[in-house]
Amino acid sequence: MDSLTFLLSGTVLAATPLLIAALGELLVEKSGVLNLSIEGMMALAAATGFIVVTLTGNHWLALLAGAVAAMLLSVVFATVVLIALGNQVAAGIAVGILGLGLSGLIGSPYEGMTVAPMARTPLPFLSDIPVIGPGLFNHPLIIYLAPLAAALLWWMFRSTKLGLVIRAVGESPESAHAVGYDVVRVRFLAVLVGGFMAGIAGAFISVVSSTLWSDGMIAGRGWIVIALVVFAMWRVERVVLGACLFGMAAIAELLVQSMGISAPSQLLTSIPYIATIIAITLLSMDGRRIRLNAPVSLGRVYAGSQ
Amino acid sequence: MRKTLLSGVLAVAAAMTAVGGTATAEPALIGFIYPSPLSDVGWAKQLDLGREAVVEAFGDKVRTAVVENITEGPDAARVMNQLVTDGAKLVVLGSFGYMNDGLRLARQHPEVSFLHASGFKQAANFGTFTARSYEGFYLTGLAAGMVTKSDSIGIVAAFAVPEVIAEVNAVTLAARKVNPDVDIRIVWLNTWFDPPKEQDAARALISQGADVLFSLHQDTPSVVNVAQAEGVRVVNTASDMSSHGPDAVLASVTYDWGDYFVRSVGAALDGAFKGADFRGGLADGTVSVTAWGGDLTEEQRAEIARVEADLKSGAAHVFTGPLRDQSGKERVAAGEALPDPEIFSMNWLVEGLSGSLPN
Repeated sequence: MDSLTFLLSGTVLAATPLLIAALGELLVEKSGVLNLSIEGMMALAAATGFIVVTLTGNHWLALLAGAVAAMLLSVVFATVVLIALGNQVAAGIAVGILGLGLSGLIGSPYEGMTVAPMARTPLPFLSDIPVIGPGLFNHPLIIYLAPLAAALLWWMFRSTKLGLVIRAVGESPESAHAVGYDVVRVRFLAVLVGGFMAGIAGAFISVVSSTLWSDGMIAGRGWIVIALVVFAMWRVERVVLGACLFGMAAIAELLVQSMGISAPSQLLTSIPYIATIIAITLLSMDGRRIRLNAPVSLGRVYAGSQ
Repeated sequence: MRKTLLSGVLAVAAAMTAVGGTATAEPALIGFIYPSPLSDVGWAKQLDLGREAVVEAFGDKVRTAVVENITEGPDAARVMNQLVTDGAKLVVLGSFGYMNDGLRLARQHPEVSFLHASGFKQAANFGTFTARSYEGFYLTGLAAGMVTKSDSIGIVAAFAVPEVIAEVNAVTLAARKVNPDVDIRIVWLNTWFDPPKEQDAARALISQGADVLFSLHQDTPSVVNVAQAEGVRVVNTASDMSSHGPDAVLASVTYDWGDYFVRSVGAALDGAFKGADFRGGLADGTVSVTAWGGDLTEEQRAEIARVEADLKSGAAHVFTGPLRDQSGKERVAAGEALPDPEIFSMNWLVEGLSGSLPN
């Protein structure tokens, strides 16, 4: 495998979980809810998925189990913020810590264990292209589904009534309510879907890309996901771009070092984070742009109207 | 971390109630604090094997309490305070980052003894322990230089601290001694724990042609797992990880703290504990190389065994001059051996390594 092939395939592996979880978070934030518990949801899913793949050997079942586990955790979050009208930031952080704790608890008998990798599905013809083929089109099937999910979400927000309803609920819940939509129900379902996707992303890391479980292995990726959504200004196509950039920066750092090029590795390590700070700073220099793009009622409690 | 703290406190409580009424004399409490979760392999597991040796040696004269997965900082300070409040006679602090909290507690409680991993500050009741793991990595470096077919070795290294730098240098010196053409690449992760990143680093090195990897201070079989999947060889740290890479593991450099812990606990029970700086290597069995894979010929094994015997007897030394650093500057004169204080504060890479140190 040459350097360029590795750069491509490594980027795809690193970007896929970020992309899946960020698409879910985008959906949740579009409906007006800020879910900060992604890290915990991914960790719980990673542990659950790993346990299932160890017991059954079925990677798809493991991804599904991880997704369902994270979705159940998102039910807790949604109940607190949408039914009990709790503060979204506090509830998100608390549920995130709960997820991290639960992942360590259920995962402890499996600590440091490894499993067989998921079978690859080379795409016909495409995978025969030199360099790009083995880099982009020789992966487990689940990886090709991530860009499809992005396309589906993009289409949904652009061209469907469902997309409009979700946006209406996120922009102006009072108006959405006035024209007859059940705001709490729409938001509740959005949070469930977001949790499900964070779960696929978390299980992807333990079951597909790393094939091992260790407590704390999500190592901050859930927070990168939240930064990605802001970085993308709540636009699907920019989430795809951001996830690829993040993934590529993370891989390029390791590749540069492995090529024997003398470069300050600590600086390289921080490039993705520096890039985020610069991007957010540039975007927020014009405050209107953030206000125009962010869902207006993001993070606000909606008590409903009697 | 709340969960681990809680489970730790519960473990202390459980240990107290479990052993409470059985022994006639009150058994002495020995506490162990590990920075990572306890699993089948890794740093915490090797410390815990040392604990088992203590239990075996002293039977019902001691009872042990384990608190695992404790991050450095307030959590660690609370846990060690709790152990001392519970009456611990000796506390093993399994991470460098516990140093300042541990020292403060040691000054307040001269009646309690402490053993601290890889620290550099001692007190009358505060001893430190370090492994001369570079000796084990010198032996495995010889093996790597012998078995590499692509003449390319890749090192996945956690942090550029003196202990890891000494290991990297030992691998390089050994591999180039048996194979002058070998090219050695290194990826610094700048983190102690991020399994997915460790694996990406391993894949990056493999993409550059490395067919022998070194996994320096990765606590999980992350790199071993990649080596197995990609069909390359790997040398790992701390525990025998060959069950995670039956075809991949060339050897494992392992730690055994049993003798040291037993001696220290014995001294603490007799009131004779002295806070010293313990550095264990091949000679005293603290460091050993196990799980040798099947790639080496009989002659190669014999040559490595000969070097091992020389290192154990003191006839040979890993860092013997002439040694130059990457810039070509002479660091150790011909015929001299690098003294201990300079090995344990190493901040330069030897000639022949590609890449640089993070600073």
